[in-house]
Order: sequence, then structure tokens, then C-alpha cells
Amino acid sequence: MKFEVLIRDVKFPNPVLAASGTFGFGLEFLTVANRLGGVVTKGLTVKPRAGNPPPRIVETPSGVVNSVGLENPGVAMFKTDILPRLQRLKCPVLVNLAAGSLDEFCELTEILEETPVAGLELNLSCPNVKEGGVAFGQKPQRVAEVTRAVRKRTDKLLVVKLTANFVDPAETAKAAEAAGADAVSLINTLFALVLDQNGRPFLGGRTGGLSGPAIKPFALFCVERVVKAVKIPVIGMGGIRTGQDAFEFISAGAHLVQVGTANLTRPDGAVEVMKGLRRLARIRGWQNWDDVRGKAGEGCFG
Amino acid sequence: MVIQENGPITEIKRLGAEIFSVWIAAARISQKIKPGQFIGVKVSEREDLLLRRPFSVADVNGDKIRIVFRVVGPGTERLARSKNGDNWDIIGPLGKPAPLVRNRNVVICGGGVGVAPLLYLTRVLHKANQVVVLLGARCTPELIMVSDFRRVGVKVQLTTEDGSQGVKGLVTEALAPVLSEMRAPVVYACGPKGMIEALCPLSEKVKVWAFLEERMGCGTGVCYGCAVPKKAGGYLRLCKDGPVVSLDEVVL
Ligand SMILES: Cc1cc2nc3c(=O)[nH]c(=O)nc-3n(C[C@H](O)[C@H](O)[C@H](O)COP(=O)(O)OP(=O)(O)OC[C@H]3O[C@@H](n4cnc5c(N)ncnc54)[C@H](O)[C@@H]3O)c2cc1C
Ligand SMILES: Cc1cc2nc3c(=O)[nH]c(=O)nc-3n(C[C@H](O)[C@H](O)[C@H](O)COP(=O)(O)O)c2cc1C
Ligand code: FES
Repeated sequence: MKFEVLIRDVKFPNPVLAASGTFGFGLEFLTVANRLGGVVTKGLTVKPRAGNPPPRIVETPSGVVNSVGLENPGVAMFKTDILPRLQRLKCPVLVNLAAGSLDEFCELTEILEETPVAGLELNLSCPNVKEGGVAFGQKPQRVAEVTRAVRKRTDKLLVVKLTANFVDPAETAKAAEAAGADAVSLINTLFALVLDQNGRPFLGGRTGGLSGPAIKPFALFCVERVVKAVKIPVIGMGGIRTGQDAFEFISAGAHLVQVGTANLTRPDGAVEVMKGLRRLARIRGWQNWDDVRGKAGEGCFG
Repeated sequence: MVIQENGPITEIKRLGAEIFSVWIAAARISQKIKPGQFIGVKVSEREDLLLRRPFSVADVNGDKIRIVFRVVGPGTERLARSKNGDNWDIIGPLGKPAPLVRNRNVVICGGGVGVAPLLYLTRVLHKANQVVVLLGARCTPELIMVSDFRRVGVKVQLTTEDGSQGVKGLVTEALAPVLSEMRAPVVYACGPKGMIEALCPLSEKVKVWAFLEERMGCGTGVCYGCAVPKKAGGYLRLCKDGPVVSLDEVVL
């Protein structure tokens, strides 16, 4: 079967992407990256950010809680240092943008508009920064405002990454769609608090975001709900570790999936997911993605 | 490039109450791994123990890698229950090799299970330097790998906090008199956080390469989880820029 997925004018060689923050800037493992459907880079801000104090990451049952806090070298360094090397990648690159204000989102967009990256993913959902982040993503009105402003400044594929923290993502997805987003992606990590033996917050950033297999059923629920609410493509993620997991998100209606935490367990975690999907396609005799996508309601695929 | 291998355990041995030594056959990683580097061990196929556990390479012999670890939580508890022939899923080599010197006076200083990564390093440094090894622990049962170090052919001095073997006291206290007799010494140290902290004042006068630990997500440089503050500002990624760092460049 043909594994390619087209969203607007961007051709993804297969539907499995590496999720932001879990695959660096896509340069550490070029041979892995070149076998993926795409790479979403680590959250990028206008100015360099040092990130949160350690510890920044801790394991919880079937999950991981992180409070990295968007450590990144800033957009200027990204342009001069990272971008030229990113051009060696065969798959499309989406740049994950993070900002504390509408103006910053616009500035980032304008700087990146002249570059060859395939698209932008607006991170309106990071739980690990004080200003911006998830606060933007919780209000449909704010989501619409930011999306509209960025849309005006870019012809690139525009993906809005939604949060499921204390908000119905169907509402924010509709707002993003109305404001001109080409696709929405979800879910980002869920609010989390980890305490040590003495009852003190474990992470240097105090609270963090939960990811990994522990969040998969909730993520799947959210993705299906959003798929029903909007017409634009949905990119699903949350705990995807195997081909079967990816298949479930696609049957819930996702066009693409992203693999996050599984990249921490092994550098080729996302390739393993794709291999699993290929195996399923062969065994189940799918001809194209329409055989699968959004068919969750119909039950058995035999 | 990071290599992933499924290697059988060829020997698992208890060295102390909660300390284990494991030899794993992993031909591709063992060929490449250098002192100071580490491997990531997948504890379980299941999803409840998700992240790999980082362990320093304690020694290499042909196609085999040795690690020595202390049981501190669910991951190491599970690993300690392994048997000969069990396959471990490991990735490596991770991190940067420890910087090596030549024709120098070298002091190797290890505390507790922190002596583990110093054995392979000692073996390599011994070929081109004058090496003295100081090994310390709380009590005799915790003093591990002493005969391994002796077999390298270096001078080994022991300290225990309870005085049950060697000099009574902390290994860091034994360091000063050794250094005072040396010209331009270089120190390599690995041990509990308190021990490394005690070496900070020294690191302003003498080159101290310290093996640090921080919670890791990936071990490969992609998640930015293993941050260690730099004196110059910002953070280094311990799994990529370390785990062996020049002690005067970081804030503990
Ligand atoms: C580069 C590196 C090399 C290491 N080499 C060795 C080694 O050679 N031998 C050895 O015994 N241990 C080593 N460690 C520590 C080892 O990785 C941890 O003890 C192990 O991950 C604990 O897993 P767990 O599931 O048993 O415990 P967890 O439940 O994860 O944690 C239990 C306790 O273990 C300690 N711990 C957990 N993770 C770490 C960590 N990354 N660093 C330090 N302490 C931790 C903490 O005190 C924690 O409270 C190394 C760590 C790093 C970062
Ligand atoms: C260590 C870490 C860092 C992350 N950094 C970002 C980020 O910079 N921007 C972003 O939009 N999402 C970030 N995320 C969220 C992931 O992209 C993804 O949405 C989430 O982890 C759920 O997927 P998973 O369960 O497969 O990991 C990060 C996640 C982790 C674990
Ligand atoms: S542990 Fe992921 S960057 Fe170091």
C-alpha cells in the first residue's frame, strides 16, 4: 500500500512523525529521521531559553513527567546553526513554536517564513512555562487570535497544537480551524505533580507534564472527539509505542501520528512504530489509509 | 551512532549486600565503548518501567561489557533478579569518553559504588601515567572491586568510614596527603554527590574530572532532561556533554 499522506501541499512519506521535544532538532539521528514521515523540532522561542532547573524528568507508572521548560538556543541560532543542517533531512520538518505573547509568535513566524521548513506547529499547550504555553491554549478566543495572526504571516503548513488540560479540545480545535489552521495536533502532556518521600515536589520546575503509555486512552478519546468536531486533518499523539497504537489513533480519525516518549526509550522508537504499521497493513490487506482512517466506530477490521 | 543490542548475561555476581556485578555479551558496543561512557539498559518489556537505566561501563573484555550497580529502586531491583543467559536490551556507547592524559601523576578517587566506572579508566590511564587509586566506602562489605584494581598493577589505598579497613575516614580526606607529594596531579573522581561536592574547592587548584549523575530521559541528547548548571550560565546536557565533566565548570 501507499504510505504517503498529503496535508495541503506537504507530502509526508508515511504517517509517523517524531514529536516535539523528544527528538531534539532532528539532527542527532539522521538515519532514523530519514525513515520517518516527518520531524517536529524541539520548541523554539525568539530568545534563547535556559529551561528549568534539574531534576527535569522522572518516571511514573507507565509514564514520564518532564519539566524541561523549553530549553532552546533561540531562533537566530536556529537559523544560522541548525537550519542548514536540517536541510539534509529527506522528510518534512515542522518547527514547534513557543512564545509568551502574540507578538512573539508573529515574530517567530516572520523570521521562519523565508526558510525552507515545511511547516509550523504552534505550541499553545506547554505546561512547563510560566507565561504563554497552556494559558493560550485553554481559551478558544486566544487560540483563534494567535492562529489568525500567524496565518496572516505564513503560507506554510500551519498546525496548532492543542492542550487537553482543563479544557475541551473540541472547542479550541474549532477555534483554530475557523482562524485558518491547516491541521490541529493533540495531545500535549497532562498537568502532573510528583512528590518525593518527604512530600516535596520532585521536579526542579515543581510541576510538569505527563506523557507516555499512561495517557494513551485519554489521548485517543480526545483525538476522536476533535476529529468529529472539525473538518481539517488531526494529528494524534499520546503514548504511541507500537504499530497497533498508531493504528488505533488512525482509526479514531487521525491523518498523522506523532511519537514522543517512545523516542526516549530507543532512538528509533518512531521507526519501530512505522514498521509495526507496515506489518499490520500487510496482514490486514489495507489498500490505502481511507480503509482505516476514522473507522473506529465501525468496529472490527478483521 | 548509538547501537542497540540484545546481549545475554554471561555472569551475574553479588559483590555486597545490594551491589551486583554483571558481564553482558554485546560485541558491537564493547568494541566502541571507552572509559567514562555509559549504557542504557531497558529494564522491562512492559510499560511500567519505561525509561532505560543508565550505568557506567566498569570494564570491557573482548565482546563483553561489565557494569556494577547498587539496588536503589524498582529498576535496579528487577535487574538484580537477572540470571545467566537472560538477555538485556542495551544501547550504547552513550556520553563522551573521559578525557585522557599522558605522562602525568593521576589520582583516581572513588567512593561507594562510584568506584565502578573507575576500573576501566584506571586500566587505560595506567598505560601512560603514574596512577594512584584511592577507594573508599562506609564499611568493609561496601568496599568493592579492590582486587580488580590491584590486578591492574597500580598502587591502591583504602579508606573506610568505620575504620574496619584501610585508613579511617572519608576518601576525600585521604586525597590531600597524596596530592601534596605530586607534581601537577590530575584527579578523576566518582562517588556520591556529597563526595563530589567536597572536591569542589580542590578543583580550583587541581584539574578534577568528575563523573556526575542526573536523572535521564533518553541518554542520547534529544530530551534535554539531564540538565546540570554551568558556572558560565545555562545548563549542559550530562548525557551528551558528560557524564565526565571538569568540576570547575559546573555548579553542584
Ligand atoms: C551516567 C550515569 C551513570 C551511572 N552509572 C551507575 C553505575 O555504574 N552504577 C550504579 O549503581 N548506578 C549508576 N547510575 C545510577 C543509576 O542509573 C540509578 O541508580 C538507577 O537508574 C536507578 O533506577 P531504579 O529504577 O532502581 O530507581 P528509581 O526508582 O528510578 O530511583 C530510586 C532512587 O535511585 C536514585 N536514582 C535514580 N535515578 C538516578 C540517576 N539517574 N542518577 C542517580 N541516582 C538515581 C535516586 O536516589 C532515586 O531516589 C548512573 C547514573 C548516571 C546518570
Ligand atoms: C521531554 C519532553 C519534552 C517535550 N517538549 C515539547 C515541546 O518543546 N513542545 C511541544 O509542543 N511538546 C513537547 N512535548 C510533548 C510531546 O511532543 C507530546 O505532545 C507528548 O509527550 C505526548 O506524546 P507521547 O506520550 O508520545 O510522549 C515534550 C514531551 C516530552 C516527554
Ligand atoms: S537524558 Fe535526554 S538529553 Fe540527556
